[in-house]
Amino acid sequence: MAKRKEQFKVIVDKLAELKDTSELMIDLAYSSLLLNNRHLAEEVQALEERMDDLHTKFEQLVLSSGFKPEESKDFLGLIRLGVATEQIADAGAEIAEVVLRGLKPHRILKLVIEEAEETVVRVQVSPNSPLVGKTLRQAQIHEETGLWILAIRRGSVWLRPKPSTTIEQNDILITSGYAEGEEDLEKLASPKE
Amino acid sequence: MLVRYVIVVASTPHWSVLRHMVKLEKIEYKPIPVRDLLVEIKDLSELMIDLAYSAALFDSKELAEEVLELEERVDTLAYLLNMNIMIAVRDAQDAELLIAASAVASAADKISDAAADIATIVIKNIGIHPIVRQAFEKVEEHLIRVKMSPTSILVGTLLDELELAARIGVDIIAIRRNKEWIINPKETEKLEKDDILIARGAPHGIDELKKLAEGAIRKLED
Repeated sequence: MAKRKEQFKVIVDKLAELKDTSELMIDLAYSSLLLNNRHLAEEVQALEERMDDLHTKFEQLVLSSGFKPEESKDFLGLIRLGVATEQIADAGAEIAEVVLRGLKPHRILKLVIEEAEETVVRVQVSPNSPLVGKTLRQAQIHEETGLWILAIRRGSVWLRPKPSTTIEQNDILITSGYAEGEEDLEKLASPKE
Repeated sequence: MLVRYVIVVASTPHWSVLRHMVKLEKIEYKPIPVRDLLVEIKDLSELMIDLAYSAALFDSKELAEEVLELEERVDTLAYLLNMNIMIAVRDAQDAELLIAASAVASAADKISDAAADIATIVIKNIGIHPIVRQAFEKVEEHLIRVKMSPTSILVGTLLDELELAARIGVDIIAIRRNKEWIINPKETEKLEKDDILIARGAPHGIDELKKLAEGAIRKLED
């Protein structure tokens, strides 16, 4: 019984990861479009590959879980949720592809977003930063710098920012907003001794 | 002539075997700026993902139905967008600019299709294991759909006055008024009776908003 519970936890965690990754891809893809930023678009493509692996692992886990016939509907629901996350991720990759092909839809979209001077700012959090150990809610980065956090990169893992996400040292914060905020964010993330 | 297939549920018992019949609905060209259509498609598709997951996690057919309705709307908007693009193109440069808009709209349409697939899991009672629900509930902020009762104290108030985010930690992310959807409503939006509110926030705040909208609580705490 305990073993079964453990097995389920792994499946659910994997699904949560699929869901988060696909949504992060959409966020990054639209940002890459609005800011006409190839680096972000390339990250989306990299995440798409990761998504494919994750999805395969997820499906294998579900199929090898040894569910009972009467549970098959629940498990079908899981499989279909997984497929939906994969489709969402594909759509994210398609949006990023537009940027990588050098097409310029931001000219159309820019008219709607007033922040035409927006840019992407990327900083690494140093161990002595006051941000270390704070949640995004506590860190008040937007209030301090005017920049919005698009994503957090921790080693090879990309995190979709949530108010409850805790910032760790060496995290790379990917933000967007006015270029003027860059200096303030640098000071916060890696203060000089 | 441009036509589109719409599924409608037959109402006469005689047709109950053929539960769905296909009705043709013509989408007429309307001059709407491409960027307006694109932004609406993008916003709707993102809202649909949130609604669809919430529908799945809380096993809510109501939310799932909203997703399917939005899917229809996104399809219509996508047609209108493409028609407007066709008319707007004058030269190669326009074509290069607008093919990008078309590609993005098509990707957003795909997102809305995925959301509709999730909603279908709920509507068809395929089911999602209860453990999944428990796991997601921990991380997800809750999302609800609530209809404004005519007796609610919220009727006639501006979002600005309510300060729901500050008071109860809840954001109204969309309002449906009959067939019209207002996504990310502005502070100056006035709530009306029979509005369907889609809101997000902590479970406790969500619960309070529901009671306020349904008229069960008649006072908003400071």
